[in-house]
Amino acid sequence: MFSRNARGLLDFLMAALCLWTAYHHTPAGALVRRASAWAFNTRSTARPLLAYYDGVSSSGVTTSALVPEVSLVRPISEAGALAYGTHLALKGLQPKARKPALALAAELGMSSEALLDEAKGPVAARKLLEALAGDFPNEEARLTAVFAGRIPARYALERVSAEGGTPTLEQLARQLPPGFEDAKVAANQALALTTAFGLAWPVPENTRIASPFGYRIHPTLGYRKLHTGVDLSVPQGTEVHGVEEGVVRRASEDAVNGRVLIIDHGRGVSTAYCHNSELLVKVGQRVKRGELIAHSGNTGRSTGPHLHYQLELASQPVDPLRFRAGTGPVATGSRP
Amino acid sequence: MSLRPLTPPAQPSGPLSGLSRFIGGFRWAFMPVGLLALIAVGVHAAADTLDERLLSLVDLVDAAFDRLVGASTLTEGLVDLISLEQRTQIARGLALAWELSVDLVLALPALGYRESKGLEEEPWRKYLVQDTRPTWRQLFTRSLRKPTTLRWTRPLATAAVVVAGACAVARLVQGSVYLSWRTLLGDGVADATARGLALGALVGILATLGWRAVLRNLQHADTASEENVRNRWQAFSYGLVGSAVAVPLALAAALDAAPVLSFLR
Repeated sequence: MFSRNARGLLDFLMAALCLWTAYHHTPAGALVRRASAWAFNTRSTARPLLAYYDGVSSSGVTTSALVPEVSLVRPISEAGALAYGTHLALKGLQPKARKPALALAAELGMSSEALLDEAKGPVAARKLLEALAGDFPNEEARLTAVFAGRIPARYALERVSAEGGTPTLEQLARQLPPGFEDAKVAANQALALTTAFGLAWPVPENTRIASPFGYRIHPTLGYRKLHTGVDLSVPQGTEVHGVEEGVVRRASEDAVNGRVLIIDHGRGVSTAYCHNSELLVKVGQRVKRGELIAHSGNTGRSTGPHLHYQLELASQPVDPLRFRAGTGPVATGSRP
Repeated sequence: MSLRPLTPPAQPSGPLSGLSRFIGGFRWAFMPVGLLALIAVGVHAAADTLDERLLSLVDLVDAAFDRLVGASTLTEGLVDLISLEQRTQIARGLALAWELSVDLVLALPALGYRESKGLEEEPWRKYLVQDTRPTWRQLFTRSLRKPTTLRWTRPLATAAVVVAGACAVARLVQGSVYLSWRTLLGDGVADATARGLALGALVGILATLGWRAVLRNLQHADTASEENVRNRWQAFSYGLVGSAVAVPLALAAALDAAPVLSFLR
């Protein structure tokens, strides 16, 4: 196919290109890098092996660490949720990784301080997102543009379109070359936070919270343990509704959680509903927001009828009340 | 005996040709490593698309485990053994283990790659023992006449991951070139250059390394089958575990990680 004169050079170039890619972008390459760093007593720059299946920001900030410290004062709109999520993710980034967002802010005449400020930040982030809405109508592409920059986001969007895929953040991130790891993680974090702000509530809004999220003395085990969700005090047989569209990842029964449902809402967000008396959906089923998914109960390790509702961001349980405004009354005692 | 001289025919001169010939002399060193790297890249591209599916699988297994240990008061504490975060880590760990296993199955045979030089290039070779390795046609005929699991699954799986690997490298080339050269060359030129280089990398890799990786795996499967398969049962069972590990990943590579046409759009 190729001239014999050029074959040696071509073979070498292609082999070198593959070797470079494997060395820097595969777990097998990471193992070699670690081994050589160990052999030569140098510091390896390889990421942790499992991080090759999910980006890890160099700042080391996980999504759960970005959860707001207090509940919302008032409900926020969809655009407001996106802006707040963007602001929180931006704050979690290292100064160097904030550059594209700050450059965009400067383009629009906004100060970088405004974007990171606790009070002014969400408003500034909203302006930034509105300015990008023309070029990037898709929410996930817009977030890519904020954290990676306009040009890389447009490039990623064109590549996804060439591949015939939908421009999800995962697909867009896959198109970006090395150097955008922090941007990918921050955009993911912003999207997870945004989705969490937009969730509905599984039972009537004013339901009393029998036991909040956090460490407590477990009522049946008797020792200090993290309560990974909120216990909503509802009578047996209360209708439980899906808080957002998603796919049922688990519908099972065991001695601790009772009849339990886990719904994956995508974008790094999933919710769990425990101690139900009846499950109305099956594994793999797609459920709509507000759809009746179960009847609450008192199954599993429970001392009375209630719904244990759990919210997870990037597989880590977080307090669902932090994403809501005007939460129902919270009990002072801690009952299961 | 032929009266042709033992020296090779005159080669075109020029520094680039000389350099190419010089580098070509080291094929024995860089080609096996290049083949191994290409397969490793393709396998990773495929494994990267599987973690969500693995998470669902881990969830199913965990639900069954919880149901089992939850049946007795003695073991019900084990229900909390694996947290949600750990389930995700387990799924990623499985993806990693799967990827490294397929690397062993498909990429390691590449290290046995040996280049056979043509008699035109090195005429003195005709006085040595001739290369007796079967040709493509012989290997294919043998696969049809004496089919084994190994003969059919390994080369096909390698072909799928090789295409996925070439696409991954081409995508990396396009993104890196466009985004880093844009300020220097301008948008239009950088875009055209990036697209051209990506397409060049895709075609170049498939033409130089891709087919060789498939051929090498076919040769390896053929040799292993010749040496170890004595009856029909062995034809089915020999190498079955490795193939069972490699084939699902190869399918993922073909279906989810090989957007070949996207480089032409």
